[in-house]
Amino acid sequence: MKIFLSILCILLVFSGCSSPFVENNTVEEIAPVTFWSLNKGEGGKLEITTVVPPVTNEKKKLFTLNVDLLKQGKKEFNLRFYRELKLGQLRMLIINEKLAKKEVITLIDTILSDPDVSPRLFLVLVRGSFEDFLEGERKVQKNLDYYLYRMFRHYERRNQGEMSIVNLHEFMEKVYSHYSDPVLPIFKADKDNFTYEGTAFFNENKYVGSINKREDQMFQLIANDHYLKNLPIPHLNVSLGQVRSKVIMQVDDQFKTLNIQVKVKGRIDEYRGHRNILSRSEMNRMTHDIESYFQRETVGLVKETQRLKIEPLEVGAHTLSPLVHPMTRREWLDHYEKMKVHVKYSVKIEPLSL
Amino acid sequence: MSSRFRLFDRTAVMGSGYIFAMVNRMQMLYYVLILPKHLIHPYMMAGILGVGFLSQINLLILAKYLTSNYFVLGYRGFVQLFSEKVVRLFAILGIFFILIKVIVTTLGYVEIVHQFMFPSMKTSWLIFVLMASGFYIASQGMEKTIRLSIIGFLATIWVILVYIPYFLPPIAETHHLYPLVPGEVSLHSWYGLLMVWSALSGPEYLVCLGPWIGPKEKILKGMSIGNALSVFEYLVLFVACLLYYGSPYLEKISFPVVNMIRYLQSPVFERVDLILISLNMIYFLYLIALFLLCLYGAIRIAAGRINIKTNRKGFLGSVIAVFICMLIINGWFWREGEELNVWVTLQLWLGAITYLLVPSVLVIAMRWKRGRS
Repeated sequence: MKIFLSILCILLVFSGCSSPFVENNTVEEIAPVTFWSLNKGEGGKLEITTVVPPVTNEKKKLFTLNVDLLKQGKKEFNLRFYRELKLGQLRMLIINEKLAKKEVITLIDTILSDPDVSPRLFLVLVRGSFEDFLEGERKVQKNLDYYLYRMFRHYERRNQGEMSIVNLHEFMEKVYSHYSDPVLPIFKADKDNFTYEGTAFFNENKYVGSINKREDQMFQLIANDHYLKNLPIPHLNVSLGQVRSKVIMQVDDQFKTLNIQVKVKGRIDEYRGHRNILSRSEMNRMTHDIESYFQRETVGLVKETQRLKIEPLEVGAHTLSPLVHPMTRREWLDHYEKMKVHVKYSVKIEPLSL
Repeated sequence: MSSRFRLFDRTAVMGSGYIFAMVNRMQMLYYVLILPKHLIHPYMMAGILGVGFLSQINLLILAKYLTSNYFVLGYRGFVQLFSEKVVRLFAILGIFFILIKVIVTTLGYVEIVHQFMFPSMKTSWLIFVLMASGFYIASQGMEKTIRLSIIGFLATIWVILVYIPYFLPPIAETHHLYPLVPGEVSLHSWYGLLMVWSALSGPEYLVCLGPWIGPKEKILKGMSIGNALSVFEYLVLFVACLLYYGSPYLEKISFPVVNMIRYLQSPVFERVDLILISLNMIYFLYLIALFLLCLYGAIRIAAGRINIKTNRKGFLGSVIAVFICMLIINGWFWREGEELNVWVTLQLWLGAITYLLVPSVLVIAMRWKRGRS
């Protein structure tokens, strides 16, 4: 017995008499926030916004803090609010486009190194002011943060090709991967709306540009999801549904030309033009028009990535093989930049049944 | 009181199932969790297979001793093979090896628990809890501890199924597995191979368990299956890590396996990693207990007290000594976050050396003895 007591004494000396558990997670006393919105603050500071309390039935408040360091936000918050902020339920990181132009990777690294935060955290870029949107919408929609999270989760789960949804792990994996560059969804926010705008492109970890909704459809089709639930082509007065694509990218041995063959299968959802698409020859002409439209758009998208010298389409990954040692990223991008692009679509449209 | 406290009694002999479970779990200790980070390149898959094969050859050599008559005799076998003085010398060396192994395993595991489960908790508490449970298991005696191996195995082997999602899209990216041929072989690759070898070490400690395991014919079979399963698990973990991270990113992650598990989500419980880390404790504890018993035995041999009955005080004293060593190393010399610190590197080399030398030295000694008589 004496020995056990002496062990305890030794332990107490080592632990400095404090209780071994410091963290306290009593639900009534904490505020497990679900998102952080980051913006550029005054004087090079960071502006962090969140809505609290996220779970209970209290009146929600919008908190905005100006801080130098991201984690300082947590502390400042605790000093001002009667609940303690916890990051275990953090689901979304919303970064303003202006801030993203300056830095993204330091913010993401900070979040990533926190063992509380899941690597499934969604990353989103926002153009405009997300804070204004929160301020306006908070009164109308009570559980706004939760519904936003469900939206991202909904589109992430089955990759149904409405949006590019990216989580923390996917982003970081692409940052480090030599043959692919990360992308993020970009939303436009103002007082009343929060709208999907397209996909933002990164060069390794620098935000370099974005594509709009129309171009984004092509991106979803040939790189991201290979599926689009709905593909309107206003230019041809037609809308395709359940479009599935199969992409074959081939780069020749000298790295001079890139051949992209895309097989697309879908059906016509809506047609408001003047052709009689029930007739076979008219239908063929129509298919041909769609093909050339796709080709034009895709070439445009590829050219854009060549101009920015980035690899969101992961063309380089198609040049890898088990037995050849890969070249460095720079070498590859130098080749890629100058490559001639040939795109060939073959579109199969399921006959319209009435 | 001390008459009832018998640690090294023998009432039964454990068959191949126990040997298999013991070998396999010994090889799945701490290093497996950090191994992928040091292998990095896809072609190291062949490295794992190659080293696994060498390990099998090593086990064949080890089996030569384990099936000899010396082995069954335990301590007396060693004395017959060498002289008593040499055995004592070996025991002193053994104390050092086992001590480092126990310390690195425990502190490594505590570091993971501290980093992912209880970041705000003092590590000395975690060490205390582990050591106290290890002591409890060990004080049940060698036989019961060895019996625990099957439970430790069954409780944790299914974890391998958890890695299935990493082999399927959308998580898996096939091009991360290329190229399969090495461009240039650097020093780092050799280091990776050394690490695989060291991770596979552990079965050499079976030589301490002479009286308890058998029968002779089944020993090699149990060890071989255990070794093969470990190699398979290494491969699964490594390929899953590659598919999930890709080589360049994998290099930068400090605990790749644990971090990878964090990506899983279950609808019931979000942090699957916490459950899996805790599950690992079952066989970590079991092996810590086993090594504590070996250590106590070695101390008794070194002190020349082999014929005196085991008593609780002596055992508790040696466990407390280990515990204090651990606290000292943890307090002053263990650098967290840097997972290949001095101690882990030391154990890496010691593990590799003991695994290489113990079987061959024993077999050479046997040959020599036979030649003389």
